[in-house]
Amino acid sequence: MATAMEIPQRNLMADQDISTDEPVLRLDRVGLSYGPDSEVLADVSLALQPGSMTFLTGPSGAGKSTLLRLAYLSLRPTTGRVSVFGQDTSRLRRNDLAALRRRIGVVFQEFRLLDHLSAYENVALPLRIMGRPETSYRKDVADLLDWVGLGDRLEARPATLSGGEKQRVAIARAVVGKPDLLIADEPTGNVDEDMAERLFRLFRELNRRVRTTVLIATHDMALVRRARADVLRLAQGMVVKVNLPEPRGENT
Amino acid sequence: MSRTASLLPREDAREGALFFVVCALCFLAAFSGLVSRAAYAAAGAWTSEVSGELTIRVRGSDADAQRAVGIIGTVSGVASAHLLTRAESEELLRPWLGATGLPESLQLPRLIAVDATIDAGEAIAAALKASGINVIIDDHAAWSSDARRATDTIGLIALSAVLLLGATGVAVIAFATHATLLARRDIVELLHLSGAKDDFIAGLFERRFLMLGVQAGALGALLAFGAAAFILFAIRQSDGQAWLLPQLSLSLADGLILGLAPLVAGAAAMLAANVTVRRALSGMV
Repeated sequence: MATAMEIPQRNLMADQDISTDEPVLRLDRVGLSYGPDSEVLADVSLALQPGSMTFLTGPSGAGKSTLLRLAYLSLRPTTGRVSVFGQDTSRLRRNDLAALRRRIGVVFQEFRLLDHLSAYENVALPLRIMGRPETSYRKDVADLLDWVGLGDRLEARPATLSGGEKQRVAIARAVVGKPDLLIADEPTGNVDEDMAERLFRLFRELNRRVRTTVLIATHDMALVRRARADVLRLAQGMVVKVNLPEPRGENT
Repeated sequence: MSRTASLLPREDAREGALFFVVCALCFLAAFSGLVSRAAYAAAGAWTSEVSGELTIRVRGSDADAQRAVGIIGTVSGVASAHLLTRAESEELLRPWLGATGLPESLQLPRLIAVDATIDAGEAIAAALKASGINVIIDDHAAWSSDARRATDTIGLIALSAVLLLGATGVAVIAFATHATLLARRDIVELLHLSGAKDDFIAGLFERRFLMLGVQAGALGALLAFGAAAFILFAIRQSDGQAWLLPQLSLSLADGLILGLAPLVAGAAAMLAANVTVRRALSGMV
């Protein structure tokens, strides 16, 4: 059984490779609480470099989803600073925040598909919001749905899809716009191992070819070990970097 | 099927109820507007019929009356002066005394009907006084004033009703928009987190409620037109009471009221939706 070595988060940024690029996502001493006795994040600092792939792990209730919500600009921190694409989000106007969100693809844990739209329309949603005409993306959306194994379910409503199918639609929607930052909350939680591997390859392709920065929250440690990506562990409101040993029999 | 379906669901039971409420409010508002317009039109007709008309009662002999007609005819602003015959005077008294005729011995007042400009009354009075003829002049001012005051009050009440109904409509639409928004918060949040600007999201609701307001307003205005037309028809069928409503008919002004109702309802619905959605969005990061 592989063991993990944990390093306190306060030194995390110093441990990371020095890059001339501005971090895509940077949290500086971020704390978040919903009240005096409900602190979710205590003092979190991290930085994701462009083109990196990072897994965020931790026990249930550790605050992974909250950290992701900070990253995709659904929450404001109680203390500290969140910067996305080099911009301090606390200083941005609403329309500027909207522009940043268009560069972020999100796979929500609860999928958040629109029930009255077909699978095709759900996937095309970010492109519609960008104002692109349907003719410019029709084939791309259909191909992407085909790639995730839903080529014959383009017109299906979410109510008729299984949990795994909904998850694939949600993933397709998150990646269809080739975002600069992809944030996924348990993206393989409802699919079998083969489909999980296939979806992970999609993330990896996006990461390598488009240089999308990927941040994935997951409990799937087998996937994490196979991925050979950076791993952060969130526990008791703190983030620590985890060094996993290489999978046995594989070269680095 | 369309691949660019509306981002808001088409079917919503709340919108059916809202459609009915807006339709009813528009009906009442348009009908109140028509009543108000009719009241002003009636007042105008009543007062214009008597304005410029003077009735002069001569306290004296027939010769004095004939002399008075001659003097009045020389006053500036007088178009005509006519001494009423006995038959004409009896005709005036018929509603009170009946059609059986009056005893020949009964002395009737000597009345002169004068058609003149509104400000000619004082000049006529001065000319007759200078000639030593004793008269009483009735220019119907008190009656006109009462009629105008009554119709002004009716108009004010109707206008207040229109404003109250309009404000109620806006409040109801705002409430319904808020309820719809709460029910569709998942959609709003998803759009927001996907990078949609506030204008984009507000626009979805604005268009939805604009159409609802215009359609409900048009139906309400149509029903108001139907009700007004029915009342007019009923009045014309019972001509015994028609004297109360001179020149009452559907006019261009009524068409304007009916045409404005759906536009105002649509604009109010759109405004209410805009304000409500933006207020809700301001609570999101």
